[in-house]
Amino acid sequence: MRRLAWAVVLAAGVAPALAAQGSTAELLGQAHQLYERLEVERALPLLRQIVSPNWPFEVTRDQRVDAYKYLGACLAVAGKRDSAVLYFRAAIERDPFTDLDPSRFTPAQLETFGEARRRTLAVAIRPVQPARVDPRTARVTFIVVATHAALVDVKLSAIGAGRPLSLFRGTMDGVREIAWDGLLADRRLVPPGRYMLAVVGRSRVTSASDSARVYFDVRHEVEAREDTLPELDGRMLLPERISAEAARRDVAKGLGVAAAALLIAGAATGDLGGGERGGADVVAATAAVSGVVAFLVHRRHGAIPENVAANARHRAERDSANASVRARNADRIAATLLLLSPAAGEGTGP
Amino acid sequence: MRAAGVIAGAIFSVGGAAPAAAQRALVVAPLASLAEHRVDAGFGLERSLGPILGGVATLRSGPRFALAVRALGGRLFGSKGVLDRDVGELGVEASVVTAPWLAFQAGAARRAYATKLGRQTWNMVGLGATARTAFAGDAIHGVWRAALLPVVSVSGLRNPDLAYRTAAGLEYRVRTATLGVEYSLERYDFPAQAGVRRREQLAAVTLRLDVRVR
Repeated sequence: MRRLAWAVVLAAGVAPALAAQGSTAELLGQAHQLYERLEVERALPLLRQIVSPNWPFEVTRDQRVDAYKYLGACLAVAGKRDSAVLYFRAAIERDPFTDLDPSRFTPAQLETFGEARRRTLAVAIRPVQPARVDPRTARVTFIVVATHAALVDVKLSAIGAGRPLSLFRGTMDGVREIAWDGLLADRRLVPPGRYMLAVVGRSRVTSASDSARVYFDVRHEVEAREDTLPELDGRMLLPERISAEAARRDVAKGLGVAAAALLIAGAATGDLGGGERGGADVVAATAAVSGVVAFLVHRRHGAIPENVAANARHRAERDSANASVRARNADRIAATLLLLSPAAGEGTGP
Repeated sequence: MRAAGVIAGAIFSVGGAAPAAAQRALVVAPLASLAEHRVDAGFGLERSLGPILGGVATLRSGPRFALAVRALGGRLFGSKGVLDRDVGELGVEASVVTAPWLAFQAGAARRAYATKLGRQTWNMVGLGATARTAFAGDAIHGVWRAALLPVVSVSGLRNPDLAYRTAAGLEYRVRTATLGVEYSLERYDFPAQAGVRRREQLAAVTLRLDVRVR
């Protein structure tokens, strides 16, 4: 029951909007049919209803532009050139990409439409379509229009940062495709974020000027990068210097060897006497002196060359591995794809 | 000369026994000892002293296992009233490292003493351990050895009741070479015969230079 109630509420809310669109589209369809049958006098009232402020139903931008265009076309056929120009201009102002198909409109209509374009300066950019672009092999294409000859400046800028990149500056008349290689002014790949493409036009026929802008988001599609090896901390490296405590232990170790030699020569051979006692003394003295010398040397220098060399080797291996990782990551970054999607306005971006 | 013959015979007899396939490193170590032999067989203490020269070849298989063959020979000059004697020895020893500071050994040796009156041979089997501790970084190692000789047979004598070998010394490492100095002592207590108890000991101070050749 609850689901049914929700369905009824939803249907009640949605139905008027659908009906409104249906009414406008229906009336526009009837006007098209009348126009095709050259019944322009009957088509005109229908089209005027659609563009009238009193028209109660919703009219989309495209529907309004279409209505103005057919109004202009009907009036041009009816010989009302000034009015036709007026409606054509209304259509052009709302959508500078508006054009007449030469196969469906007469030369007089085309000429009148051209007059409307000459009187009206409007520049526009087609909204950016979602795209996946490999900047190494492909380009992002923006479509810009100026309704008549105008000095046009097209600039791309990141929202809130960086100086804009000029993509085109020059005179143009009509539609133009502008290719972008995905790089910014510093010749680096565009970073992810929100961008604005702005076009400013100044008429070379009149003194009029116009501008337009579109927003889009850029994201990077890049293969997952490898982590570099972490910094070598103390646990991963051998001690390169001998501690004071270790130096003191060296004395004890030397004395330990000396004591062992004397013990072996003395206590264990008491009943037979001798036992190369002099040799034991020599070994004991050597051990004791070695321990003391090791202690003194370590207190003064303390370096352990073998460990220093081993650590240096370890660091070199790590640096080499990281260099390889960075090289592979650089290759992956170089293969970054750009994902473009339209955006509504200034914001933080993706 | 007899000692040289003993050494030559020993080398010839074991020359083909090395497990060449398993070796990872070959270390040879010439050595020189000043040895003192003391024996008391109930007729007073007999003492002889002299140099012993020889060498040890060690095959290391990995970081833990090693097999060593040694050949020694020299002449011990008797003190007043004591005959000079030649000594020669041939031994083999296997070693396994169980900790960075500890290794265990098992080995066998055949030793011969020869005087102008006769010849005596010793056959010995030993089980022992060696402890090492590094100091001065890794450049010097203190070494302690101890081994029991549970099986000792001596020609013309009953087997000893107690036999052991012990040693203490130092090893100095210089690049790939190791210079060792060691004081060692072997002690043999034989059972009493006719109320007389024979005791022998061989003490030596030895210099040894280990050189890795492969």
